[in-house]
Amino acid sequence: MIDTLKNSFTRLRRSSFFAGFVLFIIALVLNAALQGPASFFSVKSINTLFAKNAAFILVAIGQSLLLIAGTMDVSCGIQLALVNVVTIMTHQVWGIPFALSCLLGIGAAVLASIAVWVCCSVFRLPALLASYAMTYVIRGVNVMIMSVPQGKVPKEWYMAYDSQLFGLIPVSFFAVLGVLLICRFARKTPFGSHIYAVGGNPRNAFAAGISPVKVQLKAFLLKGVIVGIAGLCLTLMIAAGNPLQAEDYGIRSLSACILGGLGFGGWGSVASAVFGSGFFVLIQNSVYYFFSLLVRLIPGFSVSSYWQNFVSDVIIFLGLLMTIVTAKGRQEVLREGIVRQFKRIDYRKSPKESEGKEVTTHE
Amino acid sequence: MSSTKSTLTLGQRSKLFMQKSPARMAFLIALVLYAITVMISPGSLNASAIGSIVMLTLLLSIASAGQTIVLIGGGMDFGVGAVMSSAAILTTTIMNSQDGRFFPLLFAALAMGATVGLLNGICTVKIGLPPLIVTMAISNVITRMQYVLTQGSPMGYASPSFIKSVTSKLFGLQFLPSIILYGLIIIPLVFYLLNHSRFGKQVYLLGNNPVAARLNGVNINRIQILTYVFSGMFAAFAGMLGAAYMNAARCQIFDEYAYNSLIAVIIGGTSFSGGVGTYTGSIAGSLVMVVLSNLLTAMGLAQPTRNVFMGLIMIVLLIFYNREKKVRQ
Repeated sequence: MIDTLKNSFTRLRRSSFFAGFVLFIIALVLNAALQGPASFFSVKSINTLFAKNAAFILVAIGQSLLLIAGTMDVSCGIQLALVNVVTIMTHQVWGIPFALSCLLGIGAAVLASIAVWVCCSVFRLPALLASYAMTYVIRGVNVMIMSVPQGKVPKEWYMAYDSQLFGLIPVSFFAVLGVLLICRFARKTPFGSHIYAVGGNPRNAFAAGISPVKVQLKAFLLKGVIVGIAGLCLTLMIAAGNPLQAEDYGIRSLSACILGGLGFGGWGSVASAVFGSGFFVLIQNSVYYFFSLLVRLIPGFSVSSYWQNFVSDVIIFLGLLMTIVTAKGRQEVLREGIVRQFKRIDYRKSPKESEGKEVTTHE
Repeated sequence: MSSTKSTLTLGQRSKLFMQKSPARMAFLIALVLYAITVMISPGSLNASAIGSIVMLTLLLSIASAGQTIVLIGGGMDFGVGAVMSSAAILTTTIMNSQDGRFFPLLFAALAMGATVGLLNGICTVKIGLPPLIVTMAISNVITRMQYVLTQGSPMGYASPSFIKSVTSKLFGLQFLPSIILYGLIIIPLVFYLLNHSRFGKQVYLLGNNPVAARLNGVNINRIQILTYVFSGMFAAFAGMLGAAYMNAARCQIFDEYAYNSLIAVIIGGTSFSGGVGTYTGSIAGSLVMVVLSNLLTAMGLAQPTRNVFMGLIMIVLLIFYNREKKVRQ
C-alpha cells in the first residue's frame, strides 16, 4: 500500500508537468487561504471561476498540442474573437438558429487554424512570426464582419452556461472535461505518438514514414476545434460581441504552457497546459482577494486595478523563474527547441556548422 | 560559382541575389513600394511627406539598432516596445515642458533602459529562460508599471527646445528633419560597435557558434548580457526621440515597435539563429516598414483592410526571407 503510494509519487515527480503541478497547488492553497476556504470551495465561487476562465484553459490546451507537435500559434487569442463575431453576427443578420451559428463559429476557428497551418507547415515559416502576422489578418477580418461591439446571445443559452449540473458541477467544467477526454483519446491513437515524433525531430519522423506536414495539419485541426469551443465559452460568458477582445490570450497561453513545464517540440503533456493555465487563473484571483483583504484590514487604503495587474504580472514572472529552477534538466531540451523554431536557410554554412549551434552550453 | 550561375533560372538567380545582399534588396523593395505609392496618389511626392518618412525611418532604425545586436548574438528582445514607451513617459514627466533638463533625462532614460536590458540578459543567460518568453514577461511587468506610476494618464510634455531639436527642418528644407543629427551620432556608433570593436566581433562569433566562442576564450555570458543592455539603451534613446516627435506620451504608446523592429531587422537579412546580419540591412528594413505603411495609407484603405494587407505582406516577406529547410532533401 505504502509502496504503491511511493511509486506513484515518484512517477508524479518525474513527470513533465511536476513543476506546473507544484505551482498550481501553491496557487490553489494561496487562493483558498486568502478568500477563506468556505467561500472558495462554495459551488458559486467554483462556478464563477470556471465560467470566467474556461476559454483561457481551453486555449492553453490547444496551444499545448501545437507545442508538442513542434509549432505554435500566437493568433489563438484573436481567433476567439473571430468565433465570437461569427457566432453573433450569423445569428443576428441571417436569423439562423443559435446552435447553427455556434457550429459556424467553430468552423471559422478551424478555417483560421488551417490558414496558420499553411503558413507554418506548408510554407515552413517561423511559427512565431507567421502566426503573429496572421493576428493582423484575423483582426482585420473580425472588424470587417463586425465593426463595433454589438449583439446579444439568447437568454436561455447564457443562463444555461452559467448554471450547474445537479446543482453542483458547472456546465463550463464539462467543456474543459470534454476537450480533455478528446485529447486523452487522441493520445491513444497513432496520431498521439506521431505528434511527439514530429515535434521531437521532423527529419527522423519523415525517415520513419510519418509525414510531418500531415501530422501538424491534424494538430492544427484539433486545435481549431478546441479554440472554437473556447470561443463559444467566451461568447456565452460575456453574452455579447466584440471584434477586438482576448488578443493577449495567445501569448498568455504560450507562457502558461511553458510555466506548466512544456518544451518546444516532442515533449511534455496536455496536463502541463491545464496546470499552467490553472496557475495563471488562480494567481489573478488571489491577487484580487489579497487587495480586497488589504482594503478591509487597513482603513483608508484604496488601490487601483493597475496595482492588481502589476502584482499578478510580477508573480507570473516569478513563477516563470521558479519553473526553470525546479526543472533544470529540461532547459537543454527547451533551448534546442527554441533554436530549431528559428532556423533559417543558410547556404553559406555547411550543415555541420549549423548543427554545432544547437548544442549551446551555458554554465 | 560563376560558371554555374549562367545555368540558373531567373527565380534562382533572384533568390541568390536576395540572399547575397538583403540590404540592397530591401532598399529596392522600398523603392518599388514608394513608386507604387506615388503612382496611386501623386500628391504624396512632396518634400514634407519625404521628411516624415525620413523621420519615422530613423526612429525605427534607432529602435532596431539594439534588436540587431541582440539577434546577431543569438537572442531576441521583445522588450524594445515597452522600454520605448517607458522612456517616452519618462521624457514628458521629467521635462514637463521646461528646457534645460535634457542631461538628467538622458541619464535617467539610459539607466532605465540598461537596467531592463540587464534583467533581460541575466534571466536569459544565467537562469536559462528562453529569450522570447522572458523578454515578453519582463516587458509585461514594465508596461504594468507604467500604469501604476502614472495612474494610466502620463502628465507633461517634452521641452520645446528638445522638440525643436528633433522636428525642425535643417536649412529650411522640408525633407531634412533635424532628427538626422541624432542619427548621425547613433548610426556610426552602431557601425563602430558591430564592425570595428572587439565587442562586435565577439557578438558575431557568439551568434555563429557559442561553443567555439567559449573555447576561444570569449566570456559568452557577459557578451550576451551586454547585447541586451545595449538593446535596452538604444530603445530608451529611441523612446526619448519618439516622445519629442509625438510631443506628449501615453502608456504603451510605442509598444508596436517591439514587433516592427523585429520585422525590420529580419527584412534586413539578420538571421534568427544568430551570427549573420548587418545594421545597414536593419536601416533598409525600417525604410521598407515605413514606406509600406505609407503605401497602405495612400491607398485610402480602411483600418480593417489595412490590417489584412499588413499581415499578408508580412507573410509574403517571411516567405522570401525566412523559410526553413525542407524535411525531404
